[in-house]
Amino acid sequence: MALLDILTFPDPRLRTKAQPVTVVDAMIRTLVDDMLETMYGAPGIGLAANQVNAAKRVIVIDISENRNEPHVFINPRLEVAGGRVETDEGCLSVPGFYEPVTRRERVHVEALDQHGEPFTLEAEGLLSVCIQHECDHLEGKLFVDYLSNLKRARIRQKLSKSQRARA
Amino acid sequence: MRGHLSHSDRARAARHLARIVGRGDSLDNVIRRETNPLCLELTYGCLRHHFSLVEAVEARLARPLRAKDLDLFCLLLVGAYQLQRMRVPGHAAINETVSAARALGKPWAAALVNAVLRKLPTHPIGDASDHPPWLQGKIETQYGDHAPALLRANNQRAPMGLRVNRRKIEPADYRALLKRADIAFDDAWLPESILLRKPQPSATLPGFKDGAIAVQDVGAQLVGGFMREQLQGGCRVLDACAAPGGKLFHLLESGLALDVTALDNAPMRLQALSEMAQRLGHGGFRAITADACGLAWWDGEPFDLVIIDAPCSGSGTLRRHPDIKVTRTPQQVRRTNRLQGALLRNLWRTVRPGCTLLYCTCSILAEENDQVVESFLEAHEDARATGVVLPTGAATRHGWQMLPTDPATDGFYLARIDKQA
Repeated sequence: MALLDILTFPDPRLRTKAQPVTVVDAMIRTLVDDMLETMYGAPGIGLAANQVNAAKRVIVIDISENRNEPHVFINPRLEVAGGRVETDEGCLSVPGFYEPVTRRERVHVEALDQHGEPFTLEAEGLLSVCIQHECDHLEGKLFVDYLSNLKRARIRQKLSKSQRARA
Repeated sequence: MRGHLSHSDRARAARHLARIVGRGDSLDNVIRRETNPLCLELTYGCLRHHFSLVEAVEARLARPLRAKDLDLFCLLLVGAYQLQRMRVPGHAAINETVSAARALGKPWAAALVNAVLRKLPTHPIGDASDHPPWLQGKIETQYGDHAPALLRANNQRAPMGLRVNRRKIEPADYRALLKRADIAFDDAWLPESILLRKPQPSATLPGFKDGAIAVQDVGAQLVGGFMREQLQGGCRVLDACAAPGGKLFHLLESGLALDVTALDNAPMRLQALSEMAQRLGHGGFRAITADACGLAWWDGEPFDLVIIDAPCSGSGTLRRHPDIKVTRTPQQVRRTNRLQGALLRNLWRTVRPGCTLLYCTCSILAEENDQVVESFLEAHEDARATGVVLPTGAATRHGWQMLPTDPATDGFYLARIDKQA
């Protein structure tokens, strides 16, 4: 297992659309393991493959307090339902910023697990929000896209600056 | 995705407060998904003591913060609350609050937070009532000598009351379950009413998921119990402002065969009511989304009992909803006040002659209670207020007022109006 580097907004690679996984093979399983380790280490509650520069439709999520209930979704397909809920969202690729984002209350997901077995899941609450957030990543979309242009520009500016400072 | 403001409970509390103070969101809404006890304590506490905390912090800021730094201002309130009202060691309160400034994405403010908090005395100064002036004025005018005790009571923590669902379990059996789970409780006036010695998340109570109990103030249960006494099997009942459904379910749990119509004008609230009904296993009532100020929903068949649990200031529930003190305005109170009279006048037409209308609010202000009933009685010759007696509280001219100075109950008002045959 290895810790992967997480891309930071406004890195253009975060805008790449992820490709479907054709075979869940050893390489994908290694990616899943590395992503889980990276997510736990960050620490975060969800990570999409685009964020670690692997344009594959793979996401990992663990919203449990004890960090021991990992969910793996490969090639997820989403149906959203229910009313709208607002949550303060943050993102490992947008460090230090939390902004309210409105999403749908419930999701129905169909996906493959890390063994390539299909499964379905009904989720609500934080899990539902997190799944929607990660699936956006697979489409090259970030939570900052839901904010006003002004807010997004300010976040972009601040993060670019701190990246230059580090470089 | 990163966790909710990941690791700083204090930063999260500041965010919650900023949503309430800045945008007028309701506390219940903002903390719906918050489970962390420290964060909840901070959020409630800062609202409860909002006015004195603001004063203490503002006096120590060299100049006011910018409007967009409201979250930072709220974080200063959180820091001040810990220093003055909680038993958090001073250095820990300050250090943690300073690092929360970083978690808010405002590392530049660390020095500012540090400076302000170090200047704060570690105990509250003076004996501020922590009420907005308009509300304090109304309470002092109405309650006179009793006002200081009432203002103090409003700043206490609310107790947690449970209502045993008698359709699912006998109250005695549920008490046995609580004893087995080592949860300390006291009995309240009704057999189905239970007061927990220490509040705890409802999901952790035995039988909660199976609908054995609902969380409801025991004062509200007294109102429900009084309603039940007015009824017998086969009665046609209207609950005009039904959501969230506590009183409605209480009636349905009576075991009487009732024909109940529940109205509410907000589809979302009615949806939540249906979900709650499902958990408690209640069916057999009609839920209609309709404006109770009109009669478009009515089939013309009169009701044996009409219940108006009217929208109000909520001034009787400040312990449970301290956000009301911060966000409610006198204009809003005036607006709901007009609505109360309109509801009463409109729904009076649906009461069967010889039958009863119950008007209740969770307000302690006479202008929403006795005065509404009084002007209604003056305009309606066929209406008579027939007095209510409950085990706690005091009689008013036309009804009964419970007050949070009895720590077991919130402040409820109830009036019974009979329609002459």
